[in-house]
Amino acid sequence: MRQISRREFGALVATGVATTVMTGRFAFGEKAMAAPLPGGAGSAALPAAEILDRLRRNVGVPWAEQTIDTLKAGAETASINGIATTSLASIEVLRQAAAAGTNLIITSGTTFYGRSDSRTPAAGRGGGPGRAGGAGAPAPDPAAPPPPPPPTAPVYEAKNQLIDSNGLVIFRLSDHWRARTPDGFGVGLAQRLFGEGVTPDSGAPDLYDIPARSLDILASDVKARLGGRGGIRVIGDPSTRIRRVAVLAGTKAVADLLAVSPHVDAIIAGEIREWESSEYMRDLAFSGRPKGLILLGRVLSEDPGMELASRWLAGLVPEIPVRHISAGDPYWRPEA
Amino acid sequence: MKASEIVDRIRVNLENTGVAWRANTFRDIYKFGGPDTEVTGIATTMFLSMDVVERAAAQGLNMIIPHETTFWNDRDDTAQVDFDPLYEEKVELLRRHNIVIFRMHDHMHDQRPDFTFVAMAREIGLDPSLETAPNSHLFIVPETTLGELAAKVQRGIGARAIRVVGDPEARVSRIRIGVGYATPNLNAADTDVIISGEQQETDGGFDSAAFALDAAASGLPRAWIMLGHSISEEGGMNDFAEWMKGFITEVPIRLIRTGEPFWAPR
Repeated sequence: MRQISRREFGALVATGVATTVMTGRFAFGEKAMAAPLPGGAGSAALPAAEILDRLRRNVGVPWAEQTIDTLKAGAETASINGIATTSLASIEVLRQAAAAGTNLIITSGTTFYGRSDSRTPAAGRGGGPGRAGGAGAPAPDPAAPPPPPPPTAPVYEAKNQLIDSNGLVIFRLSDHWRARTPDGFGVGLAQRLFGEGVTPDSGAPDLYDIPARSLDILASDVKARLGGRGGIRVIGDPSTRIRRVAVLAGTKAVADLLAVSPHVDAIIAGEIREWESSEYMRDLAFSGRPKGLILLGRVLSEDPGMELASRWLAGLVPEIPVRHISAGDPYWRPEA
Repeated sequence: MKASEIVDRIRVNLENTGVAWRANTFRDIYKFGGPDTEVTGIATTMFLSMDVVERAAAQGLNMIIPHETTFWNDRDDTAQVDFDPLYEEKVELLRRHNIVIFRMHDHMHDQRPDFTFVAMAREIGLDPSLETAPNSHLFIVPETTLGELAAKVQRGIGARAIRVVGDPEARVSRIRIGVGYATPNLNAADTDVIISGEQQETDGGFDSAAFALDAAASGLPRAWIMLGHSISEEGGMNDFAEWMKGFITEVPIRLIRTGEPFWAPR
């Protein structure tokens, strides 16, 4: 287990341990019958409610009443043998968690493909509430054949069956991990990319000075550090010298890029809107400014932050094993 | 001829083919310059990048008709960006070349066929005779693997950074295409592969990479090939330029490609 070098994380872990000591007797009293996790020496199960209560009280920011950070499957009364963090509770990640005897999955991303995370498909064609209605929406075609019959939902069925048969509990941790100062996703990503000793700018927590290298070398380094496959895309002159970067994990608006671009040589971001941010960065590079944009994708960009969350949780919940399961890079690219 | 006359002829020819003029759209309006600008030539393009402005001006074309944005947001709301020095530079570039910009987006998607779909299918090498019905956007092709299909698409459209979700070995034949940021849903029972522009990675419901990932993990031959927003619709601006040549003969008209903004790291 690696050390968390940042002072505030150390402080939080310390708080978490203290909390554990204080509340531990309730936890042990209630679920002493649960089988220990295979390989998790001497571990004892805890109710999900106990773990989530510690998480909510120690996350470092006040718990919001309106938040997407809620239970998405399973019940708080469930007995938890182990915890896995991930940036996407995909079927593949859930399978790995179940195979490891882990039944609480803490994910920064969605489980059922939208903010509502409904376990059944939305009515109609189910475009999902996250659709921003941006550029490019064609009007319905009155001449087109009628839409296909209501969808069967084999993917939902497979996922729900996997969840239920393994007694999985899924909790989303996104708003609050991001609301920390600095952003837990950003810190995790910067540490994975540039080493745990990397220190953000004192006045601007998303900005980092790094050893100078060209944009193409930096992009290749980033790809290797994240285990990227085909999802990483870059804008800018490959030879641009990069010394100072902004690290923006997750989904970002063009306003976020405008705010940091004057202060850095490159922006490393998760997901953006192409009709906004890509075009801004294209113009910025064309105008002669030595700037670059490295896009990781949302899932890949939040993976290190959730790995960091697993280390934080290991201190907060020492009774059971805590692991991180990477959802990986969803994308591949044909050979050129 | 004046820009107003060109816009007027576009309007008349849209109306003659059954497309109502949208008086209230915030998209298909002047974005720079005005109706009285004297036009020396017309460039169509995908995004109004500064690079496109330079190339159009070098060819003597001062009216630019982009499908998408000029000032980096869908409404081209300048208040969102005018504090950035790049905004002033872009405006100065447009002023220097006496550029007039009229966006053409909503009306194009009202046209039948929608040129963006027709051109995308052509550029990625889909045989138009394999479309199940006019404007169905569903093509049944001889069965192939996802890997082979993705490689063919990439070669066809000449892209550097397309992205694919799904099992490369999956046997696929039913391809549904989408353009821009409006992508079809992958849960339709009649679809193996979506080929489209851009969509949300995890929050898009059935049109998301996350859904495609789970579909593939469930053993369904479902996949997504993402071209990127720019190249998914750019061919449509070529066809729009060709269409305008039927009713504007006084000035040169041509496509100037914005191109793919991305490259892929090694």
